[in-house]
Amino acid sequence: MLKTIVKKELLENIFSYRFPLFALICLVLIPLGMSVNNAQYAKRVRDYQEQIRLADDASANLSMSDLMGGTVAIKGFRPPALLSVFAQGFENALPLYYEFTQDGATQGESASGDESLVSIQGKFDFVFLVQMVISLIGLLFASDVISGEKEAGTLRAMLSNRLPRDAILVGKITGGYLALAVPFLAAFLLSTLVLLLGGFPLFGGDAPARIAVLALAAALFMLIYYTIGTMVSTVSFKARTSLVAILLIWSAFQLVIPKLGDMLASLIDPIRTETQVSLETSLLAKTIDTETAKELGKQYDLIFGSARKGAADDTASPERKRWDPLKADIEQRARERKAREIRAITETYRQERRRQQSLASNLALISPSAAFTRLASDLCGTGELARTKYLAAVQSHQLALDQALFQRVRRTVMIHPGGGTSLGFSVQPIDFKALPKFTVASSSLAEALKANVQSLAMLAFWLIAPFVFAYVKFRKYDVR
Amino acid sequence: MTEKATILKADDLSMRYEDGVLALDHLNLAVRAGEVYCLLGANGAGKTTTINLFLGFIPPTTGACFINGIDVAKDPLEAKKHVAFVSENVMLYGNFTARQNLDFFAKLGGKPDLDKERYYQVMRRVSLQEKAFEQRVKTFSKGMRQKLGISIAIIKDAAAILLDEPTSGLDPKAAEEFQEILHELKAEGKAILMSTHDIFRAKEIGDRVGIMKEGRLVMERTREELQVEDLVKIHIDYMKSEPLSA
Repeated sequence: MLKTIVKKELLENIFSYRFPLFALICLVLIPLGMSVNNAQYAKRVRDYQEQIRLADDASANLSMSDLMGGTVAIKGFRPPALLSVFAQGFENALPLYYEFTQDGATQGESASGDESLVSIQGKFDFVFLVQMVISLIGLLFASDVISGEKEAGTLRAMLSNRLPRDAILVGKITGGYLALAVPFLAAFLLSTLVLLLGGFPLFGGDAPARIAVLALAAALFMLIYYTIGTMVSTVSFKARTSLVAILLIWSAFQLVIPKLGDMLASLIDPIRTETQVSLETSLLAKTIDTETAKELGKQYDLIFGSARKGAADDTASPERKRWDPLKADIEQRARERKAREIRAITETYRQERRRQQSLASNLALISPSAAFTRLASDLCGTGELARTKYLAAVQSHQLALDQALFQRVRRTVMIHPGGGTSLGFSVQPIDFKALPKFTVASSSLAEALKANVQSLAMLAFWLIAPFVFAYVKFRKYDVR
Repeated sequence: MTEKATILKADDLSMRYEDGVLALDHLNLAVRAGEVYCLLGANGAGKTTTINLFLGFIPPTTGACFINGIDVAKDPLEAKKHVAFVSENVMLYGNFTARQNLDFFAKLGGKPDLDKERYYQVMRRVSLQEKAFEQRVKTFSKGMRQKLGISIAIIKDAAAILLDEPTSGLDPKAAEEFQEILHELKAEGKAILMSTHDIFRAKEIGDRVGIMKEGRLVMERTREELQVEDLVKIHIDYMKSEPLSA
């Protein structure tokens, strides 16, 4: 009996005008979007390779005098994410590079700088298509799945037979969903073929597994919206009422809740801006540097004020024997204080930001669309996980450069109590050709899934809850 | 002569809707195998409610209805095995052909293995034009849809057939053809309960005719009794009479 309902539902959808329209949308838009994004990805890869080459050349040509002048800034470029072809995520919003200096890392420009205003509404990629277009089509297909049959009178005809209502509901959802899933998956396969023909390294690393999971997640997401549509259809008795309710639900899930999450989080838990924090840390660094320079100047004058001429340059003089360890101690304490206090500021800010982002993200996750987008972007290496990894790589690279480069040339600035400043250097050998390379570790598929337990739980909720609700309502649905 | 088995039976059947309206008030009726029972009455008299109760679409407030001895409220799925239904406006799947519709409802009716020729045979029997067999139903006239509706009832081969104003809106020729088919089904031993506004057709087809008013069966006559009584006059008199609840 179930098979009969599934077949009928499938055929009815295929024979309707909506089916060829949907198939056309899938078969044109999905491959087209991927093809365009693949071309952009290839361009980004070329740019990245050229930038890396230039940055390597610049590092190799560094000299001691550059370092002493304090003007050295080494760029670390972020490699383009392979699967950004499927989901752009933060790909264009994250800085293309960071500049590493002895004062810390500062972010460079992002790729979104030259984008048009329309990109604010979302980049035209596979995830955008699924989230915005396919979800709406799924809802529209399901809008009259029950109420339409009630209105047409065919539900009475069906239920005058020995047919359990749960079989009707399950059969209708299965058949209707298959009518959507088949052209959708066909379009997805066609798209991967288009990518292969376009030279996309589809079989690189764990990309095939990620793409398969992404396709499954998209198919699940479509089923969620089809089930939500069915649920609405079982609570209304007219297809038009269903349609209005469905459009409201779609707007809430796509447009309102995800954006409301960010807005509410910033209202509930306001935090400082990144610029404020940056100013605070640079002010602190400057204050510590000045205090250290004054302390060094004071101690220098105390030790060498009454010393014989040339005692400061004579490493064997008693003044130098007192001064060298004292200077090292003052500088060491200053470095430690600076590192500790700056770390405290940045760590506090990072925690505040993490708390706000987590709140925003949790609020947004109420929407299945937000849950899907988060999961899909992490699967494609362009989501929150990629951003965290990028920032971690920046921090670790700064430390590595500090050790291998910046801390090997130490500037000593002294401000003397009687007026005037003096500058000195202590230099250790540096191999400019063997400086550490900037790399960003990519997350594994398991990491991406682990980071998305909440998203997966919400998607499961949105799959089960509407079905249970529809089931309960349909058992009591008035078919007269 | 042996008494034929009762196929459809309403036993002290009452139905009060949630809004308080008493749609059916202690209805008792029985339709035997090979019998056509016509229910007459004004709109809202309770004819369609009776059919809805037999189909298990709504549960009775009190009493019970039985199909082939099975209590519909207690075991609706089993009861529906023995009944076919044709509504006033036979609604079918417009994008399916006549045969596809017939095939779908035959499968729902428990006939999964019928071949194309069997469907054609049934459609020929109800005088549906051959060229319409593989045509999409959305192009069909009401008469054609009605014929296909009765084909669905025939192919189910159930003991009872419920007809809810089946001739409403049909042209005289189509109504005449419909009447012929009912005669054949009756001859095959089907128990037929038909609600209708068509007094003349009821007199022609009905072995018994009942008139409903405000949820009650206020009159019942046999074919023999109607040979000497004027059904039109009786019907009009009941329509004009004071409300029962007054």
